[in-house]
Amino acid sequence: MLGLIHNELLVIIGRWRSYIGFIGISILMPLILWGFVHGSNELHQDYVRELGGTFVVVGNIFNAFLATYIIMNTLWIHIPFLITLAAGDSVAADGSNGIFRITLTRSVSRLKILISKLLATYIYTAALLIFCAFWSLGVGSLVLGTGDLITIDNGILILDESQAWIRMALSFALAILVMCTVATLCFMFSALVNNAVGPIIGTMFLIIISYMIMGIPLEFFEKIEPYLFVKYFNVWWDAFKDPIPWGEIGKKLGILSLYSAGFFGIAVKVFLAKDIKT
Amino acid sequence: MILETNQLTKSFGLRKAVDNLNLEIPEGAVYGFLGPNGSGKSTTIRMMTALITPDEGEVIIQGKSVQANGNTALTDVGALIERADFHKHLSGETNLKMLARMDGTDMSRVQMVLDRTGLGARGNDKVKTYSQGMRQRLGIAQALLSNPKLLILDEPTNGLDPQGMKEVRDLIQELASEGITIFISSHLLDEVQKICSHVAMISLGSLITAGKIEDLLRDSDLLLTEVHVNKVEEAVKLLSDQSWIHRCEAEDSVLRVGVGQEHITEMVQLLVKNNIQVSAVIPKTSLEDLYLSKLGTESQI
Repeated sequence: MLGLIHNELLVIIGRWRSYIGFIGISILMPLILWGFVHGSNELHQDYVRELGGTFVVVGNIFNAFLATYIIMNTLWIHIPFLITLAAGDSVAADGSNGIFRITLTRSVSRLKILISKLLATYIYTAALLIFCAFWSLGVGSLVLGTGDLITIDNGILILDESQAWIRMALSFALAILVMCTVATLCFMFSALVNNAVGPIIGTMFLIIISYMIMGIPLEFFEKIEPYLFVKYFNVWWDAFKDPIPWGEIGKKLGILSLYSAGFFGIAVKVFLAKDIKT
Repeated sequence: MILETNQLTKSFGLRKAVDNLNLEIPEGAVYGFLGPNGSGKSTTIRMMTALITPDEGEVIIQGKSVQANGNTALTDVGALIERADFHKHLSGETNLKMLARMDGTDMSRVQMVLDRTGLGARGNDKVKTYSQGMRQRLGIAQALLSNPKLLILDEPTNGLDPQGMKEVRDLIQELASEGITIFISSHLLDEVQKICSHVAMISLGSLITAGKIEDLLRDSDLLLTEVHVNKVEEAVKLLSDQSWIHRCEAEDSVLRVGVGQEHITEMVQLLVKNNIQVSAVIPKTSLEDLYLSKLGTESQI
């Protein structure tokens, strides 16, 4: 299995499309960081205004942690899109390029091949988010410095620097797991068709439509909300609650895992029975 | 038998691509698989190599059913199905290493098969820089990677220029001479006749005929040899009396004789002994004659 994963990673590394996500992040993150450097006073004032009357703020609360926290809130459509660029190719490209005529005639089971492709996609997903963390936390801490993290979304939470690092790491770990669900969805579409564009469109369509449904305050839509997997995407946010709601995190991850298992199950069923005619 | 198909059947929608096909490929044979476009050759080969699941019937390789055992039945099989497609952004060597890694083939075989297929010096170049002929040779290299006992080749010379076709043909002949069983579908009948010991012909998914080429030609009265002699009528009379001559007729001043390869020397000696001068002996029978007689002149191979 390790050999198969190695192969899939070689393919991902060799495709220029795989680098779009990294290039995008390398362009976007410096821009955001530059914006934070030059607009931090304004953001600092906004935060102080929100905290006004309750706290006396000494110094600048705007640092790499807060910047990362804000960035993570804004990238929930972009990151899935960047992931689908690689995940969409994972199965479909081998079909359309005729690679399956070579690989699927060897004495290796289709299931093993499919699992290795999924795991390689997960590794790519994790690498992309770690790269994102490198820019926002790593480079961000050099540019903006570190300090306490103050969040005000779920009441006021103040975390000292050592806690902030831990919460950030937990948050990114949870974000990786969330994005693996997105990758599995796209992977499923990739196993259904023979071109990489369909899975990208299908995945993004489902995510955007789900977000739209969640945004409509109608009873009918509220009833179906628990069945939308994007509802549980915000699990990474739980890392910034105090105390950390492990039960809630476990439940959300469990639901996302069930969705992933379902998506992968469909992919397996389709792929094992698929006639390779191309 | 190294490969058998039992009542193999596959439909796509309402169209029956392969219908109740029974084939038996003996070990060591070079087996040609012929039929018009759309006759079900590729579908059959894809069922043999686990790319397509049959609706009914099964493929048995070395006693193992492909349908029951999946790809594990393909352990001793190398296959090249139509055009050889690889990851173009990777080198030929990397592509082969990836395939070796898949089924645990010894990595040392990678360079061996590259050398074998004449790609040893270009192994580190990206596949996208290869000519079509080189890609096809790389395709054969990957088929040879796991040291197969059975090689299944579907139109291996398709899309190649004459030079590329010759390269691939020479390689197949070389492999055949080493005793590897080869099952090959090809458009080129003269090529099949040159390299194959056996042949099967299918049309509309059904088997028309199968067997040793020479037996098929003899049975179909198509095993003809042109003999140029000075006394035509005498020669016809003499040869027609021989039990090992299937038929003998004169056409202009030339005899057309139905005689097996093993009796040609005997025939010439007989003619000479009876004071009939023989100026030329030209084998005229081709697989094309058999093909056309079985599948009709309208067929496109």
